[in-house]
Amino acid sequence: MNKIRIGYSEMTAVLVILIGMKAFIGYPRMITEHGATAGWLLPIASGALALGLWLIIARLLERFPGKPLTAITELLLGPGLGIAVNLIMFCYFLVTTGLLLRIFSESVILSLLPETPLSAIAVFYLFGAWYALYYGVEALARSSYIALVYIGIGLVTSLAALFPYYDFRMIFPVMGFGFGSFLKSSVFEISSFGEVIALAYLVSYFSSSDRAKIKKIGVWSMGVVILLFTSMVTVYLMVLPYPTSTETFVPIYQLYRSIFLGHYVQRVEAVFVIFAAFTAIMRIAIGLFVTLQILKDTLKIPYYRPLLGLFSLLLFTIAFTPQNIVETVKLESLFSMYYGGAITFGLPLLLCAIAFLGGKGEKAK
Amino acid sequence: MANFWEKLEEKLFNFKNARYQEKFILEPGNEDKTEDKGEGKAEDKGEAKGQAKGEGEEKALDKAKDADQDKGREQEKDQAGDKDKEQNQAAAGEKEDKERDADQDKNKLKKPRKPLPLHKQKEKRSGKPEDLYVSMDLETNREYLNKIYALSKNKDMIIRDFYIATKPPLKAFLIFIDGLTDKNIINNDILKSLMVLIDEGEIVEERGRLAEYVMEHLLPGHDVALLDQYRSILDLVNYGNTAIFIEGCDKSLVIETKGWDRRGVGIPQTEEVIFGPHEAFNETLRSNTGLIRKALRNEKLITEIQKIGSRTNVDVAIMYIDDLANPKLVEEVKHRIASIKTDYIGVAGILEQFIEDAPFKLAPQVLTTERPDRVVSFLVEGHVAIIVDGSAQALIVPVTMFSLLHSPEDYYLRVPYGNFLRVLRVLALFITLLTPGLYVSVVNFHQEMIPTELLLAIAAAHVIVPFPTIFELFVMEFAFELIREAGVRVPGVIGNTIGIVGALILGQAAAQAGIISPILIIVVAITGLASFAIPNYSISFGLRFIRFVFTILAAFFGFFGISGGLFLFLVTMVSMKSFGVPFLAPVGPPVKTEPDVVLRGPVWSMEKRVDYLTPLDEIRQPKISRGWIKNTRGGKQQ
Repeated sequence: MNKIRIGYSEMTAVLVILIGMKAFIGYPRMITEHGATAGWLLPIASGALALGLWLIIARLLERFPGKPLTAITELLLGPGLGIAVNLIMFCYFLVTTGLLLRIFSESVILSLLPETPLSAIAVFYLFGAWYALYYGVEALARSSYIALVYIGIGLVTSLAALFPYYDFRMIFPVMGFGFGSFLKSSVFEISSFGEVIALAYLVSYFSSSDRAKIKKIGVWSMGVVILLFTSMVTVYLMVLPYPTSTETFVPIYQLYRSIFLGHYVQRVEAVFVIFAAFTAIMRIAIGLFVTLQILKDTLKIPYYRPLLGLFSLLLFTIAFTPQNIVETVKLESLFSMYYGGAITFGLPLLLCAIAFLGGKGEKAK
Repeated sequence: MANFWEKLEEKLFNFKNARYQEKFILEPGNEDKTEDKGEGKAEDKGEAKGQAKGEGEEKALDKAKDADQDKGREQEKDQAGDKDKEQNQAAAGEKEDKERDADQDKNKLKKPRKPLPLHKQKEKRSGKPEDLYVSMDLETNREYLNKIYALSKNKDMIIRDFYIATKPPLKAFLIFIDGLTDKNIINNDILKSLMVLIDEGEIVEERGRLAEYVMEHLLPGHDVALLDQYRSILDLVNYGNTAIFIEGCDKSLVIETKGWDRRGVGIPQTEEVIFGPHEAFNETLRSNTGLIRKALRNEKLITEIQKIGSRTNVDVAIMYIDDLANPKLVEEVKHRIASIKTDYIGVAGILEQFIEDAPFKLAPQVLTTERPDRVVSFLVEGHVAIIVDGSAQALIVPVTMFSLLHSPEDYYLRVPYGNFLRVLRVLALFITLLTPGLYVSVVNFHQEMIPTELLLAIAAAHVIVPFPTIFELFVMEFAFELIREAGVRVPGVIGNTIGIVGALILGQAAAQAGIISPILIIVVAITGLASFAIPNYSISFGLRFIRFVFTILAAFFGFFGISGGLFLFLVTMVSMKSFGVPFLAPVGPPVKTEPDVVLRGPVWSMEKRVDYLTPLDEIRQPKISRGWIKNTRGGKQQ
């Protein structure tokens, strides 16, 4: 039995960073590509859909109290198929974290350190993630909880500092490419919230009293992320209107660069990038942790620490597999923010169907 | 050969015993009565002695010795956890009562216990003469002490022979360490009382209880212990007490005569305040515990004493409030201290290193303070204080990062002023940590952040400097650390002079010589000033070290390096624990707390104690603590 416990607020913070980190990279650009001027509404619509799906998945977890999704999968699909499905989920988190590592590293090169070798940046990120996980998930969760407040302050300040450039006309027409397109994009965009499924794999870190709150943690974290995405995309659209908004690689950096509050407060993007880089290290650490946790539970390994070095190397390899930055961004956008929902929501929903229709589950009995 | 020595010692004993019998007036039949009584005793010792008649004296005596030693071992066991002098006295008192009960004929002189030959004792016990028991024979005791203290070489050990002016006079000697004892007490209260002030006709009637008689009737000392084991006697003599050995007594009287030169209560050196008490601890344990008791007049304040250091045998006081501190915490502290096996712990700093959770982490996990008022404020929160004899600092456990950044003055000042100081200190923390790193980052990587005029000024100042910024910075930081270290080591006035000479002349000369840019001197000076604003000396050290890490990271990766450094710093801090309490509590993990983390609320609003200590009494004051307020709303505000 796992003796490490993560509290309610800490787990919420972990999930907010795990899901919400997209706001610091390509999410605003991608969402305006698909929704145009309706981009600011898409996070609300897709978030609401994702929230609904999470509530269904949470019911599955309630049927198997105290069991992580890895165990539930094996119970419902049998050991062979169960392990295969779990490994698919493991691969999803591994690949997305690897691709994010590349994107974060490229972002640092583009915004802060143009002459630093890419590999040095990636190694620095990985070292941070390794260090945090070496001290354990408890330390990582607490760090996330403490850091989230400062990240939030930094984000709100930067968005507020752009107020002189707000042009409210740029978020209209509300439906962008039209209602049909809006609906289609809303469905696909649920993938952006797919990481909420990580919560189902971390059940063993909850105390018995907190287990009942898993659903609530998912709802709260997704609510915060919806707010974050919406405000970020809205400001982005108001400052860099469509179609200009589709041309930036790191939208938030472009926003930071636009801040000008007099002679002494200008070009402060480097300061705000501190918050972004901080969050990025945390995101990679959390991603790596979820990956290792799924593998640990699937292969029934007692500890994940021995795997840390190996999987850090694997992440590094995955990060450098795409030929260039454009290919990486394209892959990550499609994988994580567009079609990834098929894995993150699709597979658990399949399990829900089997459990509900077959009347399986401890609580059901 | 061994048999020869055994026989010789046996003969020597018989001879001494014969002399002893001659010296003391024995009523006919007393010896027999004693022997008869010995047969009737249910105790091991009595039984063994009783059997002596049937089995031959030598064999029986051996058994009696074994019984003595078993008894001794039992006593050792009893006393292992608690060697406090007062408890020794209590134990001696209990033993005395037992003996008194068992011995129905008090006025009869007991048969002298045969001192065991030294080589036999060594074999049977640990091999140290310190583990022996006091003999009835004065010369044997002198011989033991001579061996233990190496009196021929040890010139500050004083043995003074004298006769107690009773009828008949009792031969005795006392032993003490010169320099540790108060000679006035020895001369006036011990020697004068026993040799001069006694009524010459004083007849010791309770001849079997000579030592008890002397203690009860003749010695006026306030703190007298009756001990029969050398180990206990030596512990007290080594700590400034005086031991009296009397002919015919198998116990020693140990009198409190501590009186070494000591420093008085001074003013704090590193935790000065403007408002609040100006008392600081000194190097005497009792003085320090007294200062705390003076401020915390509560019968539930417990002071437990443990001895640590096999050679130094230093007393360590563990202080806590019995009905407040979490018993598990108290047990943990006691366990950690009791488990230390080392020969030397002289000061609090060394003990701190033995009991802290993570010795290689840069932040301290124990709070060190020289202020009694600060110790009291922590004790009433439910913390435990540890004071090492000979150390002018107390250790407080457990501790959090936030309590290390608080100063006692924060609480003594009004809320707005106290909070102003706290905000200033938080800023100082970040300035100390990050300023050199930020400067290196901006100059090397992020020039676009600097307004053009300032950038030109920096560039102009730097153009004559032949070194890279990071090199300049390290040179100046190194020089600053040198000045600081030299200022501490060099005595008083010269130390200040070195600081001024170092800071002003060296800096200006370096700038004029074109080795260092003037802006960098400002950066280093501000950083140094900020580090002095950190109230805890220990964490200030840690921050100085971490600053170098940030500077190196900034030199390689600019702001990105600082960002990564902050992440590593946060993870490290959050993973630390102090006696089971997370170092960043109550923020990480989040626990319920009163408004006293970074900023503080009014004193009357802090109604509960900190949650992470799980104190036995959570409530500090009622919701309406200001009874004079009318129309209260939850006690907060009118």
